Amino acid sequence: MKNSFVELHARERALSLLDAGTSKEMVGPLDDMISPHLEPQNIVPESDDGIVLMKGKIAGNNVLVVSIEGKFQGGGIGEVSGAKIVAALEKALEDNKNGKTIYPIIILDTGGVRLQEANYGLLSISEIQNAVIALKKYVPVIGLVPGRVGSFGGMSITASILSYLIATNKARIALNGPEVIEQEAGVREFDSSDKDLIWNTLGTKQRLATGLVDEVVDDTVDNIKNSIINEIKTKKDAHRTENVDFYLSLLDQLDLSKKLDIESYNKLYKNVEVTKHDIPEAVAGSEEGTKSRGRVWFEKMTGIKNATSSVSTVLHAQKGGKEYVAIVPDADNDFPRVRNGEVGLQEGFAVASVINKVVAEDKDKDVKRPIILIADVPSQAYGYQEELIGIHVALGSSAAAYAKARQAGHPVIDFIPGDAVSGGFLAHGLQSNRMIALDDDSITIQAMSKASVARITQRTIAELEEATKHVPAMAYDIDNYEKLGALYKLVKGIGSWEATGENVAKINQIIDGAIDGLNGDRTLHFRYETPIAKESGRKATLKVRKLVDEQW
Amino acid sequence: MEKLHFNFDTTDAIAKPVHVGVVASGDLEVIFRPTDKKTEVNIVTGSDGFKEVWANVLKRFFDRYPIQANIEINDFGSTPGVVNLRLTQALEELKDEK
Repeated sequence: MKNSFVELHARERALSLLDAGTSKEMVGPLDDMISPHLEPQNIVPESDDGIVLMKGKIAGNNVLVVSIEGKFQGGGIGEVSGAKIVAALEKALEDNKNGKTIYPIIILDTGGVRLQEANYGLLSISEIQNAVIALKKYVPVIGLVPGRVGSFGGMSITASILSYLIATNKARIALNGPEVIEQEAGVREFDSSDKDLIWNTLGTKQRLATGLVDEVVDDTVDNIKNSIINEIKTKKDAHRTENVDFYLSLLDQLDLSKKLDIESYNKLYKNVEVTKHDIPEAVAGSEEGTKSRGRVWFEKMTGIKNATSSVSTVLHAQKGGKEYVAIVPDADNDFPRVRNGEVGLQEGFAVASVINKVVAEDKDKDVKRPIILIADVPSQAYGYQEELIGIHVALGSSAAAYAKARQAGHPVIDFIPGDAVSGGFLAHGLQSNRMIALDDDSITIQAMSKASVARITQRTIAELEEATKHVPAMAYDIDNYEKLGALYKLVKGIGSWEATGENVAKINQIIDGAIDGLNGDRTLHFRYETPIAKESGRKATLKVRKLVDEQW
Repeated sequence: MEKLHFNFDTTDAIAKPVHVGVVASGDLEVIFRPTDKKTEVNIVTGSDGFKEVWANVLKRFFDRYPIQANIEINDFGSTPGVVNLRLTQALEELKDEK
């Protein structure tokens, strides 16, 4: 196709947008910043790790273009690629803070987390989201989803947070790809061989009709460049993750007795009667809720027995000047895809509502209330209606709420007595400035189940398990997770279910220590600064950050 | 994945480093770097068992263009034709004045 943007590779895409002669690439192919995690798994690396960072001008405006190469490993985000994006966005933030306006443009052509570097991908993506939220105070952060890969996984959560999303009709946007949903929930939930259904559900035409992208343009370089110039001029912001009442009302009005189809959803979307939703504090109930590690700890830490709430899966309460928040399973939930404690539509929006309220209440206070997240999330919800409505926006809403709370000065501490997996962890956990985990074998920390990772990366489960031996970020257990250096503390000797009075006191003491040690830190940098991170866990990250800083 | 290593006795020094290509399916990236030592080619390829084919493609290239360079190739299953195309493209970049 003549003058097609989609057909271009990442570097050509960035160059095609920039005014001639203004481009400057940073940490490019000649800088030898290759991913250290791919070759040990017998995967051919790329010299730029699939990310092109370019500074330059568009119609005379200073811009930073971050272009993801969708053709290299599906545009997946790993340690080096993620750190490149984070470091560049943070430099752009610094410039904007100092009065030097620079507009960040992110070209998303990505499957999300690079499954071969799973836990690095999750960490990096949360750091990208954090930088985007901070930047939006100064400039719009512009997103472009040209296709062929489109935008999936954790990077779609990022997409939901961006100010303005431009797409072509060659792109799809979703949280979980149809193949993963089929793997996790069965072919009746989502048939990944039904291409029409996929495009009609996840294609940008449908996404435009329901507010998940802001503009769909024909695929030419000129069209895309003009849309960007126009956005720089008008500075529109979709505020996509700030429509919590709208979506909670929409979910109330959803008929869960039958499978949602596109036509009825579009009708519902246009006719939602929006009412204010406050999620009241959890109160003691008469019956035991569905058992989970998250619930046990929440009840013991807040002293609320059989805690119940208007949203049965989202529990929150104030205790001792701290706000505790947990996402818990409900075996009788009306939404079938969250019955095991997954983070679904309602969970994401409800948590966002809770956190936004805490921030609003403390707005004028000098000392902001600490927020303690109790993480026991086996994953995000895998379902057709979840994707049709846009579960990535639900997860983006809670991630954005936590990030804003932290950036406003609330200590945000994540306590992990249970699982912390994938989109669930991005929505409820990874935006915290300190993470405390129990050293228990039952805890899973990962981006995807083994069965799904094997399917997507076209390896056998045996090959996968072999790979986890060489690359800690691929592993599923908390001890390997500790090797990445992101934890504030790995607590030994307390089991996942052992929320005794003594143990609760011990954990509270550790949480208080973490809060005291913050000293005003509102960033996520702690993860790079622990001895383990410096020594081994985030070595490549730190090298990337240094290079970007030098070349900026 | 297989790692391959070749040496060539070539003498035409190159003036600057260049990079072309993408590690996409059926494609490869090529980096030339100036060197004053022997020409070295280091290949990481996703397709195992093609050492001889690589040797032939490279020999033909260097017979024609005896550049002296440190060459790095990351290959994701490209055919000999594509390899030759990318090598020639890198050569074109060397001539590019910008």
